[in-house]
Amino acid sequence: MRTYILKRLLYAIPTIFGITVLIFAIMRILPGDPLGAYYGIETIINWTPEQKAEILRDLGLDKPIVVQYALWMRDIASGRLGESFFRGDPIIEILVQRGPISAEIGLISVAISWLIGLPVGIISAVRPNSVWDMFSSFFTVLFLAIPGFWLGLLMVVAMITWFQYKAPIVSVQLWEDPWKNIQIIAGPAVVLGLGQAAFIARMARSSLFEVLREDYVRTSRAKGLVERLVMARHALPNALLPVLTLSGVLLGFVIGGSVAVEQAFTVPGLGKALVVAAIDRDFNVVQNIVLLYAVIFVLVNLFIDLLYGWLDPRIRLN
Amino acid sequence: MESVAVRESVNANRNKYVDAVRMFIKRSPFAAVWGVIGLALILLAVAAPVVAAKDPLKTDFTRMSVPPDSQSLFGTDQIGRDLLSRIFYGARISLFVALASVLLGTTIGGVWGLVSGYLGGMTDMISQRFVEIIMALPGLILAFALVLVMGAGMWTIIVAIAVTRVPFGARVIRSVALSIKQTAYVEAARGIGASQMRIMTRHIAPQCIAPFLILFTVHLGTVIVIEASLSFLGLGVSPPTPTWGGMLGEASALLYPFWWHVFFPGLFITITVLAFNLFGDGLRDALDPRLRGTL
Repeated sequence: MRTYILKRLLYAIPTIFGITVLIFAIMRILPGDPLGAYYGIETIINWTPEQKAEILRDLGLDKPIVVQYALWMRDIASGRLGESFFRGDPIIEILVQRGPISAEIGLISVAISWLIGLPVGIISAVRPNSVWDMFSSFFTVLFLAIPGFWLGLLMVVAMITWFQYKAPIVSVQLWEDPWKNIQIIAGPAVVLGLGQAAFIARMARSSLFEVLREDYVRTSRAKGLVERLVMARHALPNALLPVLTLSGVLLGFVIGGSVAVEQAFTVPGLGKALVVAAIDRDFNVVQNIVLLYAVIFVLVNLFIDLLYGWLDPRIRLN
Repeated sequence: MESVAVRESVNANRNKYVDAVRMFIKRSPFAAVWGVIGLALILLAVAAPVVAAKDPLKTDFTRMSVPPDSQSLFGTDQIGRDLLSRIFYGARISLFVALASVLLGTTIGGVWGLVSGYLGGMTDMISQRFVEIIMALPGLILAFALVLVMGAGMWTIIVAIAVTRVPFGARVIRSVALSIKQTAYVEAARGIGASQMRIMTRHIAPQCIAPFLILFTVHLGTVIVIEASLSFLGLGVSPPTPTWGGMLGEASALLYPFWWHVFFPGLFITITVLAFNLFGDGLRDALDPRLRGTL
């Protein structure tokens, strides 16, 4: 087990390094003139070369690309992540202020997806082609197709029409005012949770459906084990492993989806911060938020891999 | 004589395709119905200028935010444009961007996966790491960053979304190439001295067509949502060109959006995604059931 953990951890290091290079390359190298990307081509056309040079120097963009990358790494190592271009605040402050709300939304949505998706998938697998199975696969297919941000917008419109709902303006942390905080995050968490639940239910159904036809399940039934124990002891633990992995992959769905869903609910989370930074063309902020998302994605999936290895000896011995 | 023979072979070919379609309809009628709906949506997009009763850009300040009535079946938006016509025209951007970006991304990914899987060794190792790195960035986030840097326009959006599809093509086609590589007939080809290029294009690529088609349709739905999300977030094809996501974005920017502003564009996104998803599922079950769960 120890070598397995070490191997996985060592594997993650080059991946994270590669991600920083990729993000940096996207943000710096792609456009011809960085100032054009920052300020818009229409604005910089009227600038004199001296003005351009000065602004480039202020932004630190006159240095060679490799030096710029090294400076970014230094900013990350120092924990400040550099400064926002236009506001001058350290980016870490934005992340600390906005991050918890998005993290709450993400965690609660995962909990919702398991609470809804698992029972739905399990009942469908146990009673395939029953009325319940038809009913649940109809909703599964539907929620796989509905864009979360649309569902969110519909909820917002309904609340505006019937409950004089007002969009939240300031972020309220859980420890400041729990009730207000729950009101802010409930909508996005439910929308993202339902979207994930559809994936989870589909996977749980097909996985359990197959496991229930395995020889060892037949054996445990044949030796007279009650059905409840067959499920709890033999079938479910194995059937749930792929669902666990899927939940990690779905984190990408949650992160991407949360950007649009937070915008729909105007929740002041990390996704909203990303959109605002994009509108301001504050590339330093965009770059660091994207990196944070990617690192969280990699680390969570690494954790799930390790968990998987612990739960299933076949994996770690391979 | 010759022309008769040619015609006969053409007929035989046509019959082969007709039979395949018939078989598909018989085996999965449900998926076939959704395939027809998907085709209908594409036709609708192509024929938008004919089908749309009104100019999608024409504002009418006497009819602002009018609920659905006999004149505008889906109502009008905040500056009096007909929502039904805007949705028809919006289908053009959504569907074209989706089809083009998935085709581009899956093709590049597919070729990459084929070469990497066939060559194996160090090339494969490095390319797999690269795929992993791209996949660590959620699709929407990667496309968002790329469009932001390249500037929003139809072709930059297509390229950005295509990039997010490359790893999927690379991974799936690679695994196909890996298994085909082991077969006896590839070994035989190698034995008679066929070049690597010839083996890849003549012997392995044909086996990748089915998974490629499946990948293509299965990813269309995802990509429609990514495009709509980008437009919704303000990084879509620039206004006033109507796009489904853009219409939702405009509606959400209003202080008091009405239900018809939001309901209809999203409904069309959902129906389109449903059509491609369900058709794709049926296609996968018909062509290659082994891929269930991996795609």
